[in-house]
Amino acid sequence: MAVQGILPSWSTALKRFAVLAAMALSFLPIFWLLSTSIKPHEEWAAFPPVWVTTQPTLQNYRIVFAPESAREFAATQSGSLDYKVAGSAWKAFGDSALISTAATFLSVLFGTLAAYSISRFGTGGSTYPLQLLSLRMFPPIAVVVPMVALFSLLKLTDTYLGLIIAYTAFTLPFSIWMVRSFIDEVPTELEGAAMVHGLTQFQAFLRVTLPLVRGGILATALFVFILNWSEFLFALTLTSGHVTTVTVQVAKYVSASSGTLYGVQAAMGAISTLPVIAFGYLIQRHLVRGLTFGTVKQA
Amino acid sequence: MSTIYPESLMPELAPPESRPPRLPLGIALILPAQLTLLLVVLAPTLIILWLCVTDWQPTSGTAWHAAEYIGFYNFQDLFYDRRFTDALLRTILVVLVCVGLEFLIALGLALLFLDDWPWRRLAIGVLILPMMVIPVDAANAFFMLFNDHGPVNHVITIVLGRPFTYAWLADPDWALVPIVLAEVWQWTPLMFLLVLAGLTNLPRNQVRAAVSLGASPARILFRIMLPLAAPVLILALLIRGIETFKIFDSIYILTRGGPGAATESLSIFMYNGAFVYFRIGYIAAAALLVLVAVILFCIPLDRLRRRHGG
Repeated sequence: MAVQGILPSWSTALKRFAVLAAMALSFLPIFWLLSTSIKPHEEWAAFPPVWVTTQPTLQNYRIVFAPESAREFAATQSGSLDYKVAGSAWKAFGDSALISTAATFLSVLFGTLAAYSISRFGTGGSTYPLQLLSLRMFPPIAVVVPMVALFSLLKLTDTYLGLIIAYTAFTLPFSIWMVRSFIDEVPTELEGAAMVHGLTQFQAFLRVTLPLVRGGILATALFVFILNWSEFLFALTLTSGHVTTVTVQVAKYVSASSGTLYGVQAAMGAISTLPVIAFGYLIQRHLVRGLTFGTVKQA
Repeated sequence: MSTIYPESLMPELAPPESRPPRLPLGIALILPAQLTLLLVVLAPTLIILWLCVTDWQPTSGTAWHAAEYIGFYNFQDLFYDRRFTDALLRTILVVLVCVGLEFLIALGLALLFLDDWPWRRLAIGVLILPMMVIPVDAANAFFMLFNDHGPVNHVITIVLGRPFTYAWLADPDWALVPIVLAEVWQWTPLMFLLVLAGLTNLPRNQVRAAVSLGASPARILFRIMLPLAAPVLILALLIRGIETFKIFDSIYILTRGGPGAATESLSIFMYNGAFVYFRIGYIAAAALLVLVAVILFCIPLDRLRRRHGG
């Protein structure tokens, strides 16, 4: 690389050591989550803390997923733990999967159509894409307050449809910008050639452009799915028990005032974040493009 | 249009009636997205304009559209609410500290990755792990790391040589530290990737020329590389600044804004006001102020963009 050698070469070992230290710090919180998730109950809050348990157990995962294990555990504890450990995380995973998938589908579908329209017709004028982007600047909580009122009017509070609509709208700017950056890379000449052969513009879009940006659309879908799966604020404020997402379930276990369920909350944390980490690495190349709205491509 | 071929040939080859008019297709394609955004963005904004001049509380039993009109009392109240102004200033402080730390660490790391070495890709793969984690789970992990019996206190115990079981999250003066660290841990990787992209996509001839002319590394970095990468670096700072301004998930999990109101950000202040104290009208007024502030912030940005030609 061209810039090789701008740092003195004697420091190579030091540089590698710095990189290793940064890698260790990046991994430490994940390590702690995983390590705590397999600790037996006695080691959850021991001091000095147990870094790697010698008696690994799956009990914490059983408490998360199986209501009878949770009840057994709650019976051995003093106080009213039942409300926190009762119920199975399967419901949260199911609800999150359903809502995230549906919202991702709608967001990418609407986003792709809009992106094509903006890219090829300049619909909405030259400032329209930037207006979309500015929507991402509003703190969601400012929109949530009136949305609670709107949803109560439309009977959408605590429903799947309500969250799907909210998630679709709030990932649309990402979908539009990211897909647009892929469509912009396809030369218009290709569609022009197809139209010379008698296709309408919409047919040319479907048969020529769409297949060429298929990979980009898939990356966008995975990216939007990660955003939906990770979303917390809407799930917290627009539901009240009937619909539960994994993020709300995690928060339920942590509950700042009496967080003594370390093993259980670590198990729930580890299992809820694993799918999105896997998806994240699948689209590693496109992550930067997504998080910068298609403006920066990864080196 | 640089494409002479399709533009000039098409009208003769394709009969005009088989070509659908251009504008309607463009509008038809954008309609589903536009309608969704109108429902979820415009409608709530209109509702805010009504709610902020009422004292609506969902617990009082009246419907929001029948709430009592109280004029601009909410805004007057906000103006004298120390909790609101404190939350605003605290949010700005968190943005400056987090984005500053993220940028410095990211720049330092990116400089280590400019040349090629055997396990470079693996190292990048591990370094970007934090940004893949669900924010709620990142906060969950930091909640355990900074517990009074957690590993952070264990390390401090070993360094000090005496037991150290400090309850970080229960101390109004120090509870922001784990919050800031969780945020920096999670988002430095994105900053790192952006800075790295900015520095490696530079035109190389200028750097090569400077190296061959014997310029010092520091001079090359500050006089050539950083100025050339400035657009990407500014974009990175802007994106992270805007995202950090909305900070909610990590504070909710770690402290819920407590102890007292010592760690309340603007978002947490509004959440507590609306969903703990149920003062929706009052919070709607705060939300309106934030929306106006964001729009005022966007206008100079748009000017800047136009001056630089998009």
